[in-house]
Amino acid sequence: MTNVADAAPVSGQAEPPARSSIRGLIAQTEIDLRLFGMLVALAAILLTFHILSGGKLFQANNMTTMAVQAANVAIIATGMVLIIVSRNIDLSVGSVVGFIAMTYALLMTDWMPALGMGVDFPFRWVIALAIGVLLGAFIGGVQGFIIAYIGVPSFIVTLGGLLSIRGAVWYLSNGAAVSGLDPTFQLIGGGATGSIGGTLTWVLAIVGGIAIVVLLMNSRRQRRRHGFALRPMWAEVLLGILGILAVVGVAAFANSNFWPPGLAERYATENGITPPPGGLKIPTGFPWPIILLIGVTLVMTWLATRRRFGRYVYAYGGNPDAAELAGINTRWTILKTYVLMGVLCSIAAAIAAARLNGSTLDVGTSYELYVIAAAVVGGTSFAGGIGTIPGAVLGAFVMQSLAYGLSFMGVNSPGQNVVAGIVLIVAVGFDTLNRRRGGGS
Amino acid sequence: MSIRRMAALGLSAAMVLGACTTGGGATSAPSAAASAPAASEPAASGSAAATECTVGVSWNNFQQPRWAATDQPNIKKTVEDGGGTFIEADANLSNEQQLTDVDTLISQGANVLILLAQDQNAILPAVQKAKDEGIPVIAYDRLIEDPAILYITFDNVKVGEAEAAAVLEKVPTGNYVLIKGDPGDPNASTFLPQGWDNAGLKTKVDAGEIKILNMSGEAWPKDAGTYTAAWKTETAQSNMEAIIDKAVADGNKIDAILAENDSTALGVVGALTAKNYGFPPLSGQDGDKANLNNVALGKQYVDVWKNSNELGKAAGAAALELCKGGDMAALTLPDGLLDPTVAPADGLTAKDFTTPGNNTVKSFILQPTPLTAENLNLVIDGGWITKDELCAGVDVAAATAPAACK
Repeated sequence: MTNVADAAPVSGQAEPPARSSIRGLIAQTEIDLRLFGMLVALAAILLTFHILSGGKLFQANNMTTMAVQAANVAIIATGMVLIIVSRNIDLSVGSVVGFIAMTYALLMTDWMPALGMGVDFPFRWVIALAIGVLLGAFIGGVQGFIIAYIGVPSFIVTLGGLLSIRGAVWYLSNGAAVSGLDPTFQLIGGGATGSIGGTLTWVLAIVGGIAIVVLLMNSRRQRRRHGFALRPMWAEVLLGILGILAVVGVAAFANSNFWPPGLAERYATENGITPPPGGLKIPTGFPWPIILLIGVTLVMTWLATRRRFGRYVYAYGGNPDAAELAGINTRWTILKTYVLMGVLCSIAAAIAAARLNGSTLDVGTSYELYVIAAAVVGGTSFAGGIGTIPGAVLGAFVMQSLAYGLSFMGVNSPGQNVVAGIVLIVAVGFDTLNRRRGGGS
Repeated sequence: MSIRRMAALGLSAAMVLGACTTGGGATSAPSAAASAPAASEPAASGSAAATECTVGVSWNNFQQPRWAATDQPNIKKTVEDGGGTFIEADANLSNEQQLTDVDTLISQGANVLILLAQDQNAILPAVQKAKDEGIPVIAYDRLIEDPAILYITFDNVKVGEAEAAAVLEKVPTGNYVLIKGDPGDPNASTFLPQGWDNAGLKTKVDAGEIKILNMSGEAWPKDAGTYTAAWKTETAQSNMEAIIDKAVADGNKIDAILAENDSTALGVVGALTAKNYGFPPLSGQDGDKANLNNVALGKQYVDVWKNSNELGKAAGAAALELCKGGDMAALTLPDGLLDPTVAPADGLTAKDFTTPGNNTVKSFILQPTPLTAENLNLVIDGGWITKDELCAGVDVAAATAPAACK
């Protein structure tokens, strides 16, 4: 039973290569080269646009915008990885997002007030969110059941979902745009007030730094206990330092973004603060969509690599028959990936609705394409069994950095689509060549 | 693949399930909207009551809420008040179905046809059939490329003109952002920008009084402003966020924003809110409820509204006149039927209109109504929106609250 776990992409038992080359040194740190490569690509894209825009792009404010714009697709992409890894597909995500976003909007503008839960009703936003998450799980569950237990191909089921759920959005609102959400719910969408602020951002960074050290130490102890090869000490220290630097650096960067002057001024007068010369500087820190994205990424990575569920998914993707014969309840596993996907869609829908302060008929259209692109650029293989959650998140950021950079430069959407399409093909092309040469990941 | 087409497909797929109820829904459409201006109904058409007149309407897609809410009740009421009979059919977005519908309407005895065409070319066989039968055809809201039709619509160039005129009056000089619709839609790339220029946008740009912050090149109007694929609200929002970031990075202040329609304007408001930028004067068109609410809240300055109550009345009255066998060239709408601010600017007699396909047709081209916080009462009076919907979230006690909400 425990042998199944070996099918998951754990690279702990690889023979440590010779120490001579740079490649060898990097291999000893066990840094995932393809993730690292994507980080380099992301940096290169941003640097290019930074130069093209005359040094104006790379600022905390702009990067925050870009990250918030990427958050939706990135959150859904984490679920799409598991679905594609298990040799399925979900084309319905955009329609599900649209349906749930419209549900949130109508709940807070029409349905709840009609039930006597007016604007002042406590925790309306929590109730709305809970209903949305349950709805997402339900839609995912129904689709997953048809795919896993009845055996209709996922492409067909979710294509049907794409069409019929989008059609159903129309019936919810009779085609109208709905606006006016709960003020607390709106914070989910980010913006200056929808951010956690400077202090909390630092607290998070410190917690993150400590977590990195603890995880590294824990992993070393585990490896020693099970007699696995250890990383050299210098590599452990280097990883720890790099990790902490990255976390602290990102937090400092986020905190160098301040409230817009007008808002800060209003805040100052409302609270009787005399603004210092040059205006009140209130750091925004991480916006809520990014906090959600970080949380989702951590939980999904944990599910995928540390839980039996995740290992089953990779085992099934690697070899469905073997997984079945090994006694895995494959149908139940597949069903769960779709339930998870529905829940992720409900989180993305909350961000989309909160950002718009409402919902329109077309919220979420063509998300399925962006999400699949993000997962694939992030290294997920359609052959099944291969793909990582952080890779998909990075993939979403790579795609969004292009879209944002181009629109920052004033390039219109047809141009953006041309570039995005080419990058998609080039990224996967590189990956394919790389795998062929390296003989697997 | 066209996303809009996909959405339409989805809609029609869902519609198959509800097909049985569709007919019932159409005939029992709400008539509340029709009652509002009924008192001013002229007696003129009443004299024609003696002649048999059956007016047949073919909708391409009655599921879009607008038709049931305003157009249909007004056509119906005008026809029936004039002693005529009203019949209708809904094609559910299908060209084929619409041809069948027109056949059915003709066999049901329609003397005049009002067509809202799903496609301006695919409808032509039906138009030919009507012409063979000697039945006059009114192209309602959307053009049909045939010289024999009567074209009743709103002036789309005037819509752009009204958007720009209102914002330019408010902000005569400064930095403008232009948010356009889908690059493949001639309304977005040609007609609305032409209206903006008619209102003086290009003149002011050339004179240096107005600077466009989001030029993608040099060509005017092609490169002026940012297009929004499929008129999608989320896309407009993302684009606007990038434009705001760029303006802040460049040290520019955005003084005004021209958005071509309401779905894009809604995205702009989303971006301005997310960025806490404040709300510079912003335009839109369509009179969407969410946007009218934004006008009441001071987040959108002007929303150009096509008062389709009046469009329905004009079509109903024109149909009655055509029933009497009148010459299309001398066709005149009854005096006092239409709101004078909406009635065709060049008089109540049908005028020549040259179509993009170089046909000359007779037409009534109605004027759009620019709505700002000052005249929002028009949409409540017109039955377009309830006061509660319009004024949701408005602090009625505040001095800045629009009069319509007090």
